[in-house]
Amino acid sequence: MEAAKGKTTAEKSTEMSKRVRMMVKGMAQKAHEARAKGQPVAYLFIGSYYDEILRAMDIVPVGTENFAGLCAAKMDAERFLDKAESEGYPRHLCTYATCGIGFDAMRRELGTQPPNAPDGGMAMPTVMLGSGMMICDPRYKWYQAAQRYNDVPVHVHGFLWPPVDANLKEVQGYYVKYIRDELQGLVEFLEKQLGKKMDWDRLSEVLDLSERTLKVWNDAYQLRKAVPAPMPTEDALNTMVPGFFMLGTQEALDFYQELYKEISYRVDHKIGVIPNEKYRLLWGAGLPPWFSLIIFNYFESLGAVFPIETAYPPLPIVEVPRELHPLDRLALRAFKQCTYRYEKAQKHSGSPDVEWLLELIQDYKIDGVVCHRASTCRTLHVGQIHLLNVLKQYTDIPTLILESDIVDMRSYSEADTHAKIDAFIETVDAYKREKAS
Amino acid sequence: MTEGLAQVEDIYQDRGRRAKQLKAEGKKIVGYLCCFAPVEIITAAGLVPFRIVGNVEESSASADAFIEPIACSFTRSCFAVAMKNGYDFLDGYVVPHTCDNIVKLYDIWKRNVNPPYSHFINIPHTLSPASFEFFQAELVTFKKSLERFIGREITGERLGQSIQLHNENRALVRDLNELRKQEPPLLSGTEMLKVMVAIVSIPVEEANKLLRNVIKEVKGRRHGPPKKPARLLVYGTVEDNAAFIELVEESGANVVIDDLSFGTRTYWHDVELTDNPLIGIATRYLAKIPCPRTYKQRTGTHQQDLENRFGYLGDFVRDFNVNGVIIYVLRYCDTHAFDVPDVKEYLKGRGIPVLDIEDEYSTSSFARLKTRVQAFLEMIG
Repeated sequence: MEAAKGKTTAEKSTEMSKRVRMMVKGMAQKAHEARAKGQPVAYLFIGSYYDEILRAMDIVPVGTENFAGLCAAKMDAERFLDKAESEGYPRHLCTYATCGIGFDAMRRELGTQPPNAPDGGMAMPTVMLGSGMMICDPRYKWYQAAQRYNDVPVHVHGFLWPPVDANLKEVQGYYVKYIRDELQGLVEFLEKQLGKKMDWDRLSEVLDLSERTLKVWNDAYQLRKAVPAPMPTEDALNTMVPGFFMLGTQEALDFYQELYKEISYRVDHKIGVIPNEKYRLLWGAGLPPWFSLIIFNYFESLGAVFPIETAYPPLPIVEVPRELHPLDRLALRAFKQCTYRYEKAQKHSGSPDVEWLLELIQDYKIDGVVCHRASTCRTLHVGQIHLLNVLKQYTDIPTLILESDIVDMRSYSEADTHAKIDAFIETVDAYKREKAS
Repeated sequence: MTEGLAQVEDIYQDRGRRAKQLKAEGKKIVGYLCCFAPVEIITAAGLVPFRIVGNVEESSASADAFIEPIACSFTRSCFAVAMKNGYDFLDGYVVPHTCDNIVKLYDIWKRNVNPPYSHFINIPHTLSPASFEFFQAELVTFKKSLERFIGREITGERLGQSIQLHNENRALVRDLNELRKQEPPLLSGTEMLKVMVAIVSIPVEEANKLLRNVIKEVKGRRHGPPKKPARLLVYGTVEDNAAFIELVEESGANVVIDDLSFGTRTYWHDVELTDNPLIGIATRYLAKIPCPRTYKQRTGTHQQDLENRFGYLGDFVRDFNVNGVIIYVLRYCDTHAFDVPDVKEYLKGRGIPVLDIEDEYSTSSFARLKTRVQAFLEMIG
């Protein structure tokens, strides 16, 4: 493995992004401490719209995808992937899932945490909270499989949003009701499992906090439109952690307020990611190869920076009446966020994702779009070719698809990746020159 | 005019012929993917439902410019057939939310194949009361969408009649499967699969007539397929071509029952006739189709969970006197791949030998597979 020889993580630009590693360690420690004290701990998925519910019920979250990404970044996923494969879960399944399942199987077999697992391993959960989402089948299959090794209750709440060609006025009512009813079902499950009632006033307060957090997070990222780019994508892959794994906490809000200040300072003082910013690229689709984030530094060595990305973005700000019951508020907010660009798409390209890319290309002065196809994830990685095919009907901007995985580095070749990047930068350079002339 | 199994073979060899004839007569043909599309509503609209399949013998390379190779090879093949004008006769395209692969295919197909009518039906993954309520509402939206397409109302009476026709269709398929219980079975697995493909390629009334003729013909046989040492159940994803079943039977087995998307999974449970027909349809499609894309919450121990999820396979094993199971799952069908260890544990717990095959949707691997199947059959034998 070429990448195994050297550094895998990217050098960061912002001080706030450098703080995140300690926050991740802190989250793991809190989960282990909670487990030791008999407090509830939940396995959970990123962006499943239930974070505030868990916070309001004092449930300590363990982000299982986050752990897999950490294992990949630490070059310590292989043993867990191998274990899952030996248990019958093939390598082409989502490697977040197989890393987690392999870890759980190993912990069950050993009767204790696997030795030297990153951050002490995942704390044993009290419950596992899946999600029957519109996309991402592993969200309801992974924990069902993990139940072989963790003999704890699993709850899967349904979460669907309509296709872009739906008549939103016709369907919104029953979609929002469904999201709300399923969240209610989750609350009832948690109340039963944990023997405590939901404090709805507290949930309202947590929602206030999370909405303030999302606002500051969005505002901070708007500052990234500046030239030179004040904060790159490799930093954002860290700074998303409080927003996705600590939403609804004061700590997350404080983090983004500090991040806003830092980016503002960098913008005001024209502090860029690299000294001579020649090309501005958009990470346009796909999750990153966590075992090789150093590729961002390689782009930078060629004068290219990523001012913005579509991976792990802050959820958009939508208008939802604060006086609603917190579950109605959560459901309506989720529906509006999931259908955020539908109206615009229906009037133009027909694709909300293409509309998003076109907005980012214009607002962040983008010269090229880079996607990453992770071989084990159909959720975010099937459809990239289609996305770019539609995008090309509206812009002739150069595009590139890199190929590897999120966790499994076996198919990754640093040399091939660098060669692709080199050729792409030449294309971007020619495109820029042509545009300028 | 051929009848019975000869007619099945005719249709199997040229699936689109009848649909094209009907289209020439002014009928509208609606293609659909997967066994989760509520065909009762399409039939009630006076449209002809036509199940979309791929072509296992042709490369899907023509799909490469549109859909990634990491997508399920069946969906890629279906799309490749369409891009080669294989589905030009379709007036409509209906996609149920089964899995990530199919969700992704909806827009890719809609934009590039450009059918006159298209509709996506969202189906929950969970079985909560809210999921049933949601799915009923989603079926109302689908019905309204079809009504706009045909320019008239789909009445409750028409829906009721359509449900009865499709229930009859399912009952006839079950009757035909009964003839596989004998030793040796009166109908081979290869023949059965061809029947399954034929009856989703013609209107349901014609399919029912065809099934009655096939049942009569098979019942009248003095000899069915020769007796083989193994009586197998084939479990898995999509099998819309008889080639794999034929390979297994040629290797020394009788395939006597299946749990496949083109097999019993589509036919084992009827739609209950309810005052509001959509309630019966919602219940049947959401709760009765034993596909791993629908999550069943564990209610007891791990062993009880396995029984709850796969007990129907145990029933098949008992009722059809099965002595071996082949799990045949297409690569990148994530929902099935997550279930395979549990299915194997359940079957092995009942003392049933299991061969687990993961494959691409292609006949190119069959020589290699034949060796594995033969070794498995020797072990059973």
